[in-house]
Amino acid sequence: MSFFSVENLNINLGEFKLQQVSFDLDRMDYLTVIGPTGAGKTILLESIIGFWQPDEGRIYIEEQDITNEPPEKRRIGIVYQDYALLPHFTVYENIAYGLKKKQKQGIKEKVHEIAISLNIDHLLHRMPLTLSGGEQQRVALARALIVEPRMLLMDEPLSALDPKTRRETRGLLRHAIERFGTTVIHITHDMEDVWSLANKVAIFKDGCMLQFGALEDVFNRPKSEFIAEFVDATILKGMVRENRDGISIIDVNGFKLTSLDDATPGEKVRVAIRPEDIIVAREVPRDISAHNVLEATLEMIVREGKTSSLKLRVRDSLITVLVANSTLHRLDLKPGDRIYAVIKGANVRIV
Amino acid sequence: MHKLNLFRSALILVSLFITALLMFAVVSLFLVPDVKDVWHNIFSREMIFSLKLSVLTGLMSTFLVMVFSIPIGYALSRFTFTGKGFVKTIIDLPVAFPELVLGLCLLLLFGNTWLGKAFDSLGLNFVFTKKGVVIAQFFTALPYASRIMKSTFDYIDPRMEFVSRSLGYSMPETFINVSLPLARNGVLASAVISFARCIGTFGTVLILAGGTYMKTEILPITLYLNISYGNMGMALTSGIVLAVVSFIAIYIFEKAELVL
Ligand SMILES: Nc1ncnc2c1ncn2[C@@H]1O[C@H](COP(=O)(O)OP(=O)(O)OP(=O)(O)O)[C@@H](O)[C@H]1O
Ligand SMILES: [Mg+2]
Repeated sequence: MSFFSVENLNINLGEFKLQQVSFDLDRMDYLTVIGPTGAGKTILLESIIGFWQPDEGRIYIEEQDITNEPPEKRRIGIVYQDYALLPHFTVYENIAYGLKKKQKQGIKEKVHEIAISLNIDHLLHRMPLTLSGGEQQRVALARALIVEPRMLLMDEPLSALDPKTRRETRGLLRHAIERFGTTVIHITHDMEDVWSLANKVAIFKDGCMLQFGALEDVFNRPKSEFIAEFVDATILKGMVRENRDGISIIDVNGFKLTSLDDATPGEKVRVAIRPEDIIVAREVPRDISAHNVLEATLEMIVREGKTSSLKLRVRDSLITVLVANSTLHRLDLKPGDRIYAVIKGANVRIV
Repeated sequence: MHKLNLFRSALILVSLFITALLMFAVVSLFLVPDVKDVWHNIFSREMIFSLKLSVLTGLMSTFLVMVFSIPIGYALSRFTFTGKGFVKTIIDLPVAFPELVLGLCLLLLFGNTWLGKAFDSLGLNFVFTKKGVVIAQFFTALPYASRIMKSTFDYIDPRMEFVSRSLGYSMPETFINVSLPLARNGVLASAVISFARCIGTFGTVLILAGGTYMKTEILPITLYLNISYGNMGMALTSGIVLAVVSFIAIYIFEKAELVL
C-alpha cells in the first residue's frame, strides 16, 4: 500500500460536490494541485486535514485509516495563503505552539534551529501582524514543520507574495521540505511552483479530478483539451494513417504528423505537443533528424517576460510555441510571416 | 444636483432633529432635579439598598449570561445541527417579547411546574425573591449577549482553529487557546451590554421577583415605586444613577468595539 491514499472521496456541500477523488502518494512525493477557481482544491485539502467529513470514501496514511480520526490525531500540517498566524501570540509562541503539545523539553532549541534555517530568527519576539507577508509565510511554514508532520498541506502558500519574495521563499521552502523529508500537497495557480517543486500533478475542475500523475506525464500527455489549455500544451485530433515499426503517421486536418508512439491505422487519436518542444525556422530546414517540418503562418505573438508565446496556424489548426524573446529579434518575426515549425517525433505524444 | 442636495439635507435634518430631541430628554434628567436633593437621596437607606442590590444582581446575572452566551454563540456560529433555527428563534424571543409577558411566563414556569419544584428542592426559589431578580435579568440579557458572541465568533477565521487542531490540540483546547482569546473584545462588549440590560430590566423583574420595598428593590423598581408615591426626588435620583451606569457601559462598549 502507498504511503498516502485517497479512495473514492465524495463530499456533498449542497451546491458543490467533490466527486470520486482517488489518488496515491509515495513518501516524499510533492504533489501540486492545480485547477480553476471553485474547483474544490481547498475542500480537498480541508477534508484530508479532517474538517470535512466525507460522505463516501476513505483516506489512508501509513496504512492507517484516518477517515474518521479527528484532525488533532492525524499529524498532518497545513499552511494557508493568508498564513493564519495566531495574532495574540508572538512569532516564537506561534512556532512553539504545536511543539509544546508534543514535548516539554528542548522547545527553545528546536524553535531557534528552525527559525535560523528559515531566516526568521531575528523576528521571534515580534507579533505576527507586524511582519511582512514573506516573513509571515516563513513563520507559518516553521510552525507547521517543527512538529514533523507526516504530511504537509499548503493552500496557495506563495500567492500573496511579490515575485522576488516568492522566488526566495520557494527556495527556502524546497530546502525545508527536503530537510524534513516531508510529503507535500501544494495547491497553486502558479506554473513556476509546479515546475520547480513538484514531481506529481493533479488537475481539478468542478469537484472532479481530471488527471493525476507524474509531472511529465500530465504536462506532456494532457488527457483533454481543457487540461492541455491549462498546462499550455496543444492538442490536435487526427486519424492514424500508417504504422511503420511502431512509428505512427497521423493525419491532422490535411497535414501529417509523425509520432514515435504506437497506434493502429484507422484509429482516431489525439496528440499533445508542448510549446517548448517546437522549433521555428525561417527557411525549410534540410538534413535534420526531426520527423515533422510543418509550414505555418505566424498569427499572434504574446510576450511573457523573457519568453514569447507564438500562435502558429497550420492549415486549420492552431499550435502554441514558446520561444525566447531574443529568438524573436534574431529571426525578425512578425505576425503574418510564413515560417516552419519543427517537431521531433518523440515530442508528438498520443494521449 | 439641486434635487439631490435637497434630499440629502432633508435626511440629515431628520437625523439631527431626533438626536437633539433625545439629547434634551436625557439632559433634562440631569438639569431638572436639585443637585443637593439628589446628593441627599443617593445616601438614603433605600437608595443604597437598591443600588447595592442592582449592582450585585447585575454582576451575578452578567456572569451567568456570559457562562451561557459564550457556548451558545459558539455553537450557533460554528456548527450546523438540527433545531439550530429553532434555538436561534427561541433565544432571540425576549428581544421582541414584552417584558411583562416574559416575566409572567417565568413566574408560571418556576411557580407551579415540576421544574419549579425541582429547583425549589435545591434551595432555588425564584418567585418573589432576590434570586428571581437574577433569573429575570438573565433571560432579558441573554439574547443580546448570545447575538454579540455569535457575531464575534463569526468574525474569527475558523482556519485559525483548523491550524491549532492540525497541530495536535483538541477542540476544547483549541477553544481555550485560540477562539476565546481572539474573542476577548467580544466577550467584554457582550458583558458590558448584558450588565446594562440587567441593571435596567424592569418588567420581567417586577412580575417574577415582585417589586417589594427594600426586598427585591432594584433601581428601576425604586424609580417606579417612588413615582407611584409621588416622591419625585427619589425617582429622579434612581433615574440619574441608572443613566450614569448605562453611559459608562456604552462608553466601554464603544471602546471595545473599536479594538474588535
Ligand atoms: N462551507 C461550504 N458550504 C458549501 N459550499 C462551499 C463551502 N465552502 C466552499 N464551498 C464551495 O465549494 C466550491 C469549491 O471551493 P474551494 O474553496 O475548494 O475552491 P478552490 O478550488 O480552492 O478555489 P480557489 O482556487 O479560488 O481557492 C466553491 O464553489 C465554494 O463556493
Ligand atoms: Mg482555494
